[in-house]
Amino acid sequence: MAAASSSVPFFGIRDEDEHELSKQQSTTAAAPPPGSATALAPPKKKRNQPGNPNPDAEVIALSPKTLMATNRFICEVCNKGFQREQNLQLHRRGHNLPWKLKQKNPKEARRRVYLCPEPSCVHHDPSRALGDLTGIKKHFCRKHGEKKWKCDKCSKKYAVQSDWKAHSKTCGTREYRCDCGTLFSRRDSFITHRAFCDALAQESATRLPNGIASAGVGGGGRQFYGGSAGVGGGINLDLISPANPPQFGQLSSTTSLFRPSQSYLSGAGSGHDFNSLIQDMHSNTTAGASSTGNLYNLSFFSNNAGATGAGAAAANMPLPSDQFPNSRSSGGGLFPSINIKNNVPSLLVADPTEPAASSPALPQMSATALLQKAAQMGAAASNSRSSLLSGFVGAYHSETTQRAQLVDNERSFQTLMNSLGGGAGAFANNLDDGSPKLHHVVGAGTPPPDNGLTRDFLGVANLSVLESEMKSAFSRRSNNP
Amino acid sequence: MVPLMGNVAQDDGSSSVTSSPLKSFSLMSLSPPALLPWPPALRELKSDERGLCLIHLLLNCANHVAAGSLDRANAFLEQIALLAVPDGDAMQRIASHFTEALARRAIRMWPGLYHALDSARAVVLPLAEAAVARRHFLDLCPFLRLSFVVANQAIMEAMEGEKVVHIVDLNASDPTPWLALLQGLRARPEGPPHLKLTAVHEHRELLNHTAIRLSEEAERLDIPFQFNPVVSKLDNLDVESLRIKTGEALAITAVLQLHTLLATNDPADVRKAAQRAPPAGITQQLSLGDYLDKDHGANGHSPSADSVLSSPFASTSPARIDSFLAALWGLSPKLMVVMEQESNHNSAALTERFVEALFYYAALFDCLDSTVPRQSVERLRLEKMLLGEEIKNIIACEGWERKERHEKLEQWARRLNAAGFASVPLGYYALLQARRLLQGFGCDGYKVREEGGGRLMMCWQDRPLFSVSAWRC
Repeated sequence: MAAASSSVPFFGIRDEDEHELSKQQSTTAAAPPPGSATALAPPKKKRNQPGNPNPDAEVIALSPKTLMATNRFICEVCNKGFQREQNLQLHRRGHNLPWKLKQKNPKEARRRVYLCPEPSCVHHDPSRALGDLTGIKKHFCRKHGEKKWKCDKCSKKYAVQSDWKAHSKTCGTREYRCDCGTLFSRRDSFITHRAFCDALAQESATRLPNGIASAGVGGGGRQFYGGSAGVGGGINLDLISPANPPQFGQLSSTTSLFRPSQSYLSGAGSGHDFNSLIQDMHSNTTAGASSTGNLYNLSFFSNNAGATGAGAAAANMPLPSDQFPNSRSSGGGLFPSINIKNNVPSLLVADPTEPAASSPALPQMSATALLQKAAQMGAAASNSRSSLLSGFVGAYHSETTQRAQLVDNERSFQTLMNSLGGGAGAFANNLDDGSPKLHHVVGAGTPPPDNGLTRDFLGVANLSVLESEMKSAFSRRSNNP
Repeated sequence: MVPLMGNVAQDDGSSSVTSSPLKSFSLMSLSPPALLPWPPALRELKSDERGLCLIHLLLNCANHVAAGSLDRANAFLEQIALLAVPDGDAMQRIASHFTEALARRAIRMWPGLYHALDSARAVVLPLAEAAVARRHFLDLCPFLRLSFVVANQAIMEAMEGEKVVHIVDLNASDPTPWLALLQGLRARPEGPPHLKLTAVHEHRELLNHTAIRLSEEAERLDIPFQFNPVVSKLDNLDVESLRIKTGEALAITAVLQLHTLLATNDPADVRKAAQRAPPAGITQQLSLGDYLDKDHGANGHSPSADSVLSSPFASTSPARIDSFLAALWGLSPKLMVVMEQESNHNSAALTERFVEALFYYAALFDCLDSTVPRQSVERLRLEKMLLGEEIKNIIACEGWERKERHEKLEQWARRLNAAGFASVPLGYYALLQARRLLQGFGCDGYKVREEGGGRLMMCWQDRPLFSVSAWRC
C-alpha cells in the first residue's frame, strides 16, 4: 500500500486522499502547495523498512476526530461535503464559482509519516510511525475502533468496511470440512487439523465397545439408516481398522451422533470417556447452552414427523433410548435391533453439521438449558400432554425445532406439574423392579391411571385440569399410605 | 417393548447408572412420605445432573407449598439444601434463592411466625445496600443502560425544536441517564433547551445526590437546568406535586416501576387469611379454585388486578395502576417511556408464578454466569439483594406486599391503551444505538430485538427479559 501511495497524477480519483489531507495539514504542517503536475506515471516511491521511518520525514499527529473525518471540504453554496479538495473544486464548477485544481510539487513535498492518536498504541511513538494516511486510518479503526461491520454468513465482525467487504467475498466460497464437522477456509490449517483429528478418532475407536461402533456403521456417512435394513446383521468390523482415515471420519461422526443419547443419561460407564473425548475433539463453539437445548430437541424430536403429531412417536424414542446405557454399559452388544430400526433414525438425524454444538454434555449447562431439558423429560414421559415447561421451550426458540413436541403454549401449569411428576414417577416406575405399571410409559400418552396401582411417588400427580379427575385423585391420595 | 423393559430391569444392578437422579428418586420413593436421605453418591453428581435434580425438587416443593402440605415440602427443602448454594453455578444459585422464597411462603401458614420473622427484615433493605445492588445491576448487565440509551433517543426525537423540556423520572435513584441526556441536548443543532427534571423517589438522600451531580454537569455544559425533587412513594404520588405546567413539553420515564402499582389485596390472600391453616385437602381445593378462577381472567382482559372474582369473602380494592395511568394521561405527556420485565409474574396461582419466575430468573442468572466470574462479590450482592429479593417477593408475598408484579408487554400495552395512551414506535436510531451499546459491551449473548409496533425487547439468548416501549397521550 505504501508503495502505491502518492506521486500518482492527481487528476482522477485516487484511493488515498493523502494529498488532500496534506493540504488540510498545511495549517499544521506548513507544507507548501505542490507545484507542477505531471501526466506521466511518476517513478515508484521508495518504501522504508517497517520500523524505520524516513528520518527526515515530517511527523503528523492527527486527533481521532480529524483522522476519521470525512467530508472535510464543504461547498459554501449547497453545503455538500467532499472528501477531497479536488472533488470540491470540480463541484464548484457546477455552481459557476471560481475553481482551481491545485497541484502538488513533487520536489517540495515532503515525506510525511503519521502517528496513531491512541496513546497506548505502539504506533503512537514517532519512531514507529506509519507512512501512509489511509494506512493509519485503517489501523486506527481496526485496532481501536468498534467493529460495526458484520459478515452475514458467519459472525465475524470488522471495524473497516474494506476488510468486511473483502471477507464477505470469500466467506463460504471455499471450504474444507473435516469429518468431525469443523470448517476451514484454508487448506493448510485444514490438513493440520485433520492429522490431529484422525489421531483422536483412532483412540476413541479402540475404546468403544464393538456394538456401538458397528451399530453406527450402517450406511456410511451420516445417513446411517438411509436404507439399510437393520443393524443387527450389518456389522462391518473392518471399518474399525486404524488404517483408514476417511472411515474414521465416519466413526467419529458415529460417536458424535450417539452423543445425545449418551449424555442424556450421563452416568453410563463408557459414556464418560466417550463424552470427554468428544469434547476434546471438538472445540465447542456453542453460542450458548440454549442452542444446545435447541439441537437437543432437534435430535430427539423434530425430524421424525415435522408437524405436530409426532408426540407419540417422538416420545417413544427417548424412553427406549434411556434404557440404552443400561444395556450398553453392561457390556451388551448391539442394541436390540427393534429399537434401532424404529427409533434411532430420528435419534441420529441430529444436525450433521454441528455435532459439536449439539452436545448437551457440556460441563456446565446453563440454567435455562437445564430447565428445557427437564421440560423435555417431563414432556417425553407424558407425551401427548404438553407441559408448561415445554411450552416455554417452544415460545422462546423461534426456530423450527419445536414443532413435534410443543403444541400449545397455553397449556396449564398444572399439567406441567402433572406431567413432570407423572413423568418422573413413570421413570421411577420403570427403573424400579417391583412396579407393575411399565407399559403406560411407552408412548401410551395417558396420565398415570388412578386405579391405585400407580404409586404417586412424588406426590404431584393430582393437580390436573379436570375437577373430576382431581377429586378422584384427592380421594386416592387420602387413601394412599 | 416389554421385553426391553425386562432387560432393563435385570441390567439395573450391574449398570453404572446409579448416579442417575431419577433412579435415586425411585429409591427414595419406596418409603412412605418421610423421604429417605439421599444416598451419598448424589453429592458427587455432575453439575447438569445436579441441576436437573434441583429442578425436580424445586417443582415438587413448590407444589407442596402451594397445596399446603408442609411436611412434604419440608422434606424437599431439606434435600434441596444439600445441593443448592448461593455461590455455586447458576442453577445452584437460583435454587438457593427460590428455596428461601418457598420457605418463607411455607411459613405464611403460621402468620405469627411469618410476621415475627418478617418484621425483622420487613423494613426495606438498608438504603445503601439497595442502592449498591442497583448500581451493580447497572454495571454488570446492560439492560438498564440500554433502556437509558433508548429513552434518551426517544426523548431527543420527541423534543426536537422544544425550548423547554420537562422530564419526570419516576424512580430517580441514578443520575446516569440524565448525564447522557444533558450531553445529547448540548449537541443539538438548535442548541440546548431549558431542562427541568422532576425526580420522584422515596428517599431524600438519593435525590440530593442526583441533584448535585446533575447540576454540576449542567453547569459545566452550560445548559439551563432545574431540578425538582419529589420525595414520595410511587403508590401515593400526587401528580399535582409534580408541578407540571399546562402546555409544557413533558416526558415521563418509568423504568421497572409501574408493576409495583399492580399490587392489590388478592382475593386468594383474603380467603386464605379467612381460613387459617386448613388441612391439606381443603387448601388444595382453594388452590384449584384460584386456578380455575384465574382461568377466566387468564387472557388478561380484566383491566386491573389479575384475578378479579366476585368473592363472598372480602372486597378486593382495585390496584392503583388505573388511576395512576389516568392521572399521567391527564398531564398530556408528549412521551412516556416504559421499561418493564418481560415475564408474567402476576398470576394468582403460586405454581404458575413459580414456573414463570424460574424460567425468567434462570435466564438472568445465566447471563450473569456467562459474563461475570463466580467469585465476584458484586455479582453475589446483585443476586442476593436485588434478584433474590424480587424472587422472594414474587413467591412469598401476597396482597399489598407483593410488589414485583411483572407482566408482559402485551398486558401493559392493553392497559396503557385503555388509559388513553397511543403507542410511539421507537425508531431506527434507538435500535441502532442500542445495538452499538451492546457491541461495546462485548458479550455475544445479549440481543436487542424490535417487536411489532416499534417496541424493543432486550434478550439474553433469544429469551426476552426486558421490554422498552414509548407512548404518548
